[in-house]
Amino acid sequence: MGLLKYTIYRLLQAIPVLIGISIITFVLANLAPGDPVRLMLQGQQVDEELVRAIEQRYGLDQPLHVRYWNYMTGLVQGDLGYSIHRDRPVSDLMVERAGPTLLLVVSAYVFAIVTAIPLGIIAAKRRNKPTDHVSRIVALVGVSTPSFWIGIMLIIIFAVQLGWLPSAGLVYPWQPPEAAGYDNHLQLWAATIEHLLLPMIALGTLQMATLMRVERTQMIDSLQQEYVKLARAYGVPERTILRKHAFRSAQLPIITIIGLNLSTALGGAVLIETVFAINGMGRLFIEAIQQLDYQLIMGITMVLGAIFVIGVVITDISYAYIDPRVTYGERE
Amino acid sequence: MATTESQLEEQEPGAPEATTDDEDVEARVGWRYTLAKVKRDATARIGFYIVAIVLVIAAFAAVDSNLSRLTFGALSDYRAAQALPFFEHPTALPESGEAQRNVPPAFVDGGTLSHPLGTDPQGRDYFTRIVYGSQVSVSVGLVATAIGLIGGTIVGAISGYYGGWVDDVLMRAVETLYAIPPLVLIIVFIVFVSDGSPDIRYAVIGVGITFIPVFARIIRSRVLSVREMDYIEAARAAGVKDRNIIRRHVIPNSFAPVLVYATLQIGVTILIVAGLSFLGYGAQPPTPDWGEMLRIAHGRYMHSNIWLSIWPGLAILVTIMGFNLFGDGLQDALDPRIKN
Repeated sequence: MGLLKYTIYRLLQAIPVLIGISIITFVLANLAPGDPVRLMLQGQQVDEELVRAIEQRYGLDQPLHVRYWNYMTGLVQGDLGYSIHRDRPVSDLMVERAGPTLLLVVSAYVFAIVTAIPLGIIAAKRRNKPTDHVSRIVALVGVSTPSFWIGIMLIIIFAVQLGWLPSAGLVYPWQPPEAAGYDNHLQLWAATIEHLLLPMIALGTLQMATLMRVERTQMIDSLQQEYVKLARAYGVPERTILRKHAFRSAQLPIITIIGLNLSTALGGAVLIETVFAINGMGRLFIEAIQQLDYQLIMGITMVLGAIFVIGVVITDISYAYIDPRVTYGERE
Repeated sequence: MATTESQLEEQEPGAPEATTDDEDVEARVGWRYTLAKVKRDATARIGFYIVAIVLVIAAFAAVDSNLSRLTFGALSDYRAAQALPFFEHPTALPESGEAQRNVPPAFVDGGTLSHPLGTDPQGRDYFTRIVYGSQVSVSVGLVATAIGLIGGTIVGAISGYYGGWVDDVLMRAVETLYAIPPLVLIIVFIVFVSDGSPDIRYAVIGVGITFIPVFARIIRSRVLSVREMDYIEAARAAGVKDRNIIRRHVIPNSFAPVLVYATLQIGVTILIVAGLSFLGYGAQPPTPDWGEMLRIAHGRYMHSNIWLSIWPGLAILVTIMGFNLFGDGLQDALDPRIKN
């Protein structure tokens, strides 16, 4: 199978999964006891006529499979539904809140990659030396600590006790500086970084720990390869070996892990946004849950699932492009 | 597997560790050999001890929680005069008037030895609540992992054994479950299934179901290799039913790596349930759950009483670290390629 064919094959494979996600979210949301309109009104006394009118307007009086069909045809056209609760299209609400989450998740990944890769390489190079042990302990603690607790501890240390950094909220670099009360873009960016630092570390620690473990194992593995031994025998300097021979092949699994961890990172964003009071998609999700805004819940679940599926497809494809050894689509 | 047994005899536990790479990998997979290796592995040993201690504390929480009172001179304590002190429930509120709210830990100014970790905003002994929290966390971790393990084993075994369209359908379903962030999927599940009144039981079931995919994948890949073995072929030729082949041959021979994975997964489970409780969708007050305690601490007491935030987090960290260390040790023992 050629690369192009593999790309198309992988994309086609994603379609049933996306349909599956839509079924799961739809079924779960419609398992809700009582009908959505009454759920929305939350026990208020209203007359039956009104309820029926609302149901008719949003097509809720139709049987389940018709509603699913309507939902699906909407989805295909990019319509994520309409939040009756907030009287706005779900997609508008999500676009509004996607920015902060994107900023948070991307910066957490940057933090994780920038710290994990050098530490992993050093650990592999000085295997079983004190540096290695320290990095392994850091990785172990990193995978064992709840991200939201790291967030709370960071707030207590750096915001409450030391007063160095803000404990809540986020400043968005894409808004005009005047609107946020800053003189220029430089100040705005400084404020953004100040606000982002703690949540970034809280969300990124787990990713860092996971990546560090993989990086270490991969580097140890590739340092034992024949071609590395050969290069060493030829007298190639150790630094060149690390940089040119061992490093490259060790990075491929890292790409996969980054893709697969997207799901954990997005879920973690829900917790971290709660801890730091950041108005992103995670908080929007929690608000939607609290208000039982089922259209919004379905929309968010659908989009988060789709982001993950597309992320994995992209990593798979880029993997195939980068590594010529990968055979595509061969089934076990 | 016959060769494994015979080679196992030659490699008795305690024999000097063979480290050559080209050694037969199969020989290292036997249970007794694994156990012997785990015993030698320092990290696995530490992990095992931590897990054992947490399990013992969880099992005897009713007794242990009063240890704080017995050990630290407790006759002055608020419930010392109670008729059955050993089975006092930690959710019980102290009688009004006697409550010492937000007492700091014993080693800080203002702390007392009768409350080694201080008290919470309602005057309950925090040490007692932390100890009881182990019961919630450990049982939740074990049960949820067991649900995922059993469900995953069934799905994975069927998928791998039959192949074809069954495999396709099941694997797509598994990928679908895997795609939605677990925390989000579980919260949606809890809220809609629990009829708006979340409970730790829904959390456990939800977490268990979300873990079916990971276990199903591992089992399936093992089954795919086991399926080709001669003894399966023989059983099939002898007319053994598919269901029995899966149950008697396929699953038992695919199980070891899954069990290791399950050990590591217990930590993840505890982590997720703590997150759920923190958001208010796991254990409900007054259940002494670590995540729930952090929720209360984060909500109102981050400035006034930082100890409320510190202890539950440390408890989660130590417990999960125990399971992770133990699981890592098991994994290293089973997979000789990655040796530390």
